Amino acid sequence: MPSKSDQVIERWIPQFKKGLLEFIILLKLKDGAIYGYQLAVEIKKITSIDMAEGTLYPLLNRLNRDGLVETEWLTTETGNPRKYYKITVFGTEVLGKMGSYWTQTHSSILKMVDEK
Amino acid sequence: MKLNFTIESKVAQKVWDNFERDLIHKLARLPKKEREEISQEILSHLYDSACHDEASLEEVKMINAIDRLGSPDDYLTPLVEDILLSLDLAKGHPVAILNSLRKAGAKGFMHLLATMVFGFGYFSIIMLFIMATAHIANPDVGVWLHNSGSLSLSFGAQPDSIQWQPEYFSVIGGITSVFAYWGLNKLLNMFISGRN
Repeated sequence: MPSKSDQVIERWIPQFKKGLLEFIILLKLKDGAIYGYQLAVEIKKITSIDMAEGTLYPLLNRLNRDGLVETEWLTTETGNPRKYYKITVFGTEVLGKMGSYWTQTHSSILKMVDEK
Repeated sequence: MKLNFTIESKVAQKVWDNFERDLIHKLARLPKKEREEISQEILSHLYDSACHDEASLEEVKMINAIDRLGSPDDYLTPLVEDILLSLDLAKGHPVAILNSLRKAGAKGFMHLLATMVFGFGYFSIIMLFIMATAHIANPDVGVWLHNSGSLSLSFGAQPDSIQWQPEYFSVIGGITSVFAYWGLNKLLNMFISGRN
């Protein structure tokens, strides 16, 4: 049976991941256009985040609606269509600000953790 | 664009068909274009994921891929709601506007304040439109300039006042209210996108 602290962590982790994912997606897209499945695999590989792959799609839709990414359907050699996501100029600008905020927050939190 | 591949195993084909049927059912509320695009993207993901699965049986690969995608309710419900909201708002659907205002109002004091400002804006626009229409039947409905220098919107003739543009009030009021409604919808859309 999970301990009380494990139960709290179980509730906290999904919230924490949700907030981070948009930032991670944009970071990944900075390396070039990518399609949904590939994005899910790479995020899982890099971050070890155990996420349901489908949860990326509402986030990608939101980023697209807000103009941070743009999409294009391309056909593979086998003839299957894939929807590629590409970061926009506006997305790059937002990512820069996210990066600064992340660095600031990360250092502050690390300092707090070290003090404990 | 159609997916172009064959599934050898009958069981795997059945798993695929069931998933596709469920997907179409869950996306049914969306317009055809959005529905087809999302279902194509998810199915393309499913196919890629199954192709890279290490299981030997095709049906197991498929089941594993579906499992990795997660519960369809978890990713399709927020996706559908989000798309419907932005489509309805873009069309100026009154129910969507009301829902957005209600959701924004429940988020805290600043949101409540913004909701009241937007609410007052919509109320004024609707009033202007009603008065512009009513002016056709009753020419006294309109904007009245008082001798004191103030002005008022009124449904009847005002003493010691001159009516502003009585010949064109219906046209001016109608056009202004339509453009203001469109502009306010755009603003609300921006507000909601920024706050979500």
